[in-house]
Amino acid sequence: MVRLIVTRLLLSVVLIVISSIAIFFLMSLVPGDPARTILGANATPDSIERLRQQLGLNQPLLSQYASWLGGVVRGDFGESVFSGDPVVKLILARVPVTLSLMLLSTLVIAVLGTGLGLLSAVRGGALGRFLDAISLVGLALPSYWVAILLVALFAVAIRIFPATGYIQFADNPGGWLLSLILPVAALSLGGVTIVAKQMRDSAMDVLARDYIRVLRATGVRERSIVLKHVLRNASLPSLTVLGLTVVGALTGAVFVENVFVLPGLGTMVTQATTSHDLPVVLGVGVFFTLFVIIVNLVIDLLYGVLNPKVRVR
Amino acid sequence: MSASHRPAWQTALVAVTTLAVAFGATACSSASSSTDSASTSSKGGTLTTQFAGVPISLNPALGGSGGSAIFTSLPYDSLIYQTGDGKLIPDLATKWALSDGNTKLTLTIRKGVTFTDGAKLDAAAVKASIEYMMKAGGGDARYAGPVDTIATPDADTVVITYKSAYPDAPYYLSQYWSVGQIIGPKGLADPKGLLTASDGTGQYTYSASDSVSGSSYTFVRNKKYFNPDAQQFDKVVVKVIGDPSAVSSAVTTGQVDFAGVSPTTAATVKAAGLKLVAAPFFTWGLTLADTEGTLSPALANADVRQAIALAIDRDALASALSADYTQPNGQMGAKGTDGHVANYGFEYDVKKAKSLLAKGGYPDGFELTVLTENILDSQTTISQAIAGDLGKIGIKVNLVVKNSVPDFIQGALSKQFPALIWPVVGTNSAQVVTNFTQPGVTNPFGNTYESLNSLYAAAQSSTSASARTAAYEKLTKAANDAGVFAPAISTENVFAIGKTITNVRASALNPNPLPQAPDAKYAWKRTK
Repeated sequence: MVRLIVTRLLLSVVLIVISSIAIFFLMSLVPGDPARTILGANATPDSIERLRQQLGLNQPLLSQYASWLGGVVRGDFGESVFSGDPVVKLILARVPVTLSLMLLSTLVIAVLGTGLGLLSAVRGGALGRFLDAISLVGLALPSYWVAILLVALFAVAIRIFPATGYIQFADNPGGWLLSLILPVAALSLGGVTIVAKQMRDSAMDVLARDYIRVLRATGVRERSIVLKHVLRNASLPSLTVLGLTVVGALTGAVFVENVFVLPGLGTMVTQATTSHDLPVVLGVGVFFTLFVIIVNLVIDLLYGVLNPKVRVR
Repeated sequence: MSASHRPAWQTALVAVTTLAVAFGATACSSASSSTDSASTSSKGGTLTTQFAGVPISLNPALGGSGGSAIFTSLPYDSLIYQTGDGKLIPDLATKWALSDGNTKLTLTIRKGVTFTDGAKLDAAAVKASIEYMMKAGGGDARYAGPVDTIATPDADTVVITYKSAYPDAPYYLSQYWSVGQIIGPKGLADPKGLLTASDGTGQYTYSASDSVSGSSYTFVRNKKYFNPDAQQFDKVVVKVIGDPSAVSSAVTTGQVDFAGVSPTTAATVKAAGLKLVAAPFFTWGLTLADTEGTLSPALANADVRQAIALAIDRDALASALSADYTQPNGQMGAKGTDGHVANYGFEYDVKKAKSLLAKGGYPDGFELTVLTENILDSQTTISQAIAGDLGKIGIKVNLVVKNSVPDFIQGALSKQFPALIWPVVGTNSAQVVTNFTQPGVTNPFGNTYESLNSLYAAAQSSTSASARTAAYEKLTKAANDAGVFAPAISTENVFAIGKTITNVRASALNPNPLPQAPDAKYAWKRTK
């Protein structure tokens, strides 16, 4: 396991460099000029050029990237072109919001998806058919659209939840949870249906195995069979799907944060991308890359827990 | 025009533009929209407002104007204050006067005012701040005007001498413009520090620790403010919310007390029982930039330009967009602005348009490439309508759509497009016409128009309000005759006001309400 972790950490460095290069050069292709964005339509060419020099934008792309990378090695991710705030400070201020959203969504997807899938496999019948039907719907519905609907219904029409905003956990744990219920619901709906469908199919496959019949024949209780044997073995494929779903939810989080005006990394990177705030985009890109690596590492470790055969020696 | 992100609406939250809203020296007749001032109000508490984009900068010299001035006007008082009805009243300057043919502005500076850094406000501090603004390279520096010298004959007097007549000088020293927002000496010594800590004389100070950059900006009451009676709130929080549905939800559920709403969600907000305040802002139309015919020879012909203006069905476009907040407009200034001529403007006359087109030598029409964008012109609705109308008289329009404001500006300045669709603003005709007579986005070729320039100069030199209005009206008619701009519609800024907030006023002369005022009579209040 230690070897796995070390390998992944080394890999993360390579991945971060690759993703940052990709982001850097993709951003250079996006039309627009941050200096002009800052100074506006009426800025003189001289003032724009002066600002470009101040911001280092007149340097060749490779020089700009090398300068950024050199800073990163020293722990300096640069400053926002617009606010002047250090990128690390900006990211740290917003990470709790996005992490709260992602972790709660992951929990909901894992628990509800697994539970629903298992239940429908064991009970079958109408629940199973319903799950098959809504899994496609859940996959098709964009989280942005679901978010708007949830706000219209549960925040505006029936005022149970706040329409926008985020409350810090430290300020009010109850308010924090309340402010995340609708965003988490919007973000996790698709994932729940996907994981539930996968779990149902896997569980049905396991339930049809010979050893399950043997267990029943030997008098093992059904509940024990389902929770100890079926769940464990059916979880493996679902775990992979869960990992992919969580990574995919990161994209959804960007939209959901905008709808609910959550001050997370999603809203920050949206603003930074359209205003060409390159240091911020790169910083968030690095964070997202790390997040994906960690998610995959956790999935791999859980895989090893559930299936000793695949553990890395 | 400067862009905030600001951005579709997703990009508009980033790319909200701040626009020049010119103002004549005195208010002219204009309908104003307001919420009634309550007879009883309570002070203190927090006012939460919304703005669609992040601040361009918290340094006033680099900050935005218009509505985005909310971020800098709260901590930085200006020399002059413009009320919601467009009137100019004293703020840091207790009185001012234009003289010498509008080339000299003398300001008397208020006594007993201190910056948050403890320094006293005096003429030297004002001079230093204005000079910094002019050199800092911000997008609004040009609104300082053609400054020749800034003198301080005594501790309380500032005399600004201009190289040419500049009657709009007092307006551009108001709270909406960087030039008039005075920065303290400590801030001037360390401009970078202004991004995290304000140094002004305003009613509030910026609290970085309570703010989340890019999301919400908190301003706390300035205990050193010179007129505590005018301060209505203990705290003002500006939330950055760009998505129209999120704005609607936030204001409807009381999460914000004030928000700029889109015309498409205004009805929903009104149905929820909130008050709406609206004021004309943009005038949309087709700018015929290539009047010399460099790229499009047809546009060099005056008859062709007139034909284009006559081909636009303004009534249909206004109805299609949102009749409540959009008006057909056949002249460059919006109704209510100084120089707007009643019952005047281009009519919709397809027959006459075709006849003029033939007279100009293009009986079968021609092809025209038009630059536009889909940020302000959401889904290019206006652009497509104009293109469709021109198609009916034989002009085949190829729309080139840019997806960001900076990209549009870059395209416009590239001189590769003979025409473009971009809104203009101005509270008098002189300021609107400079969009077409001075080099810039809407005059990328740098064309000069002698008739317009001479009328502009005459208007600038007029020393009485009535003479200036008459000159502005002549300018409006001359602009139509020159055919540099084919106007189509005027759109309004629409604001939703929370149920407990009163005294919010907006008008054609001031379409961007701000909560604070040096005189309590004009400040927003919360009812008990």
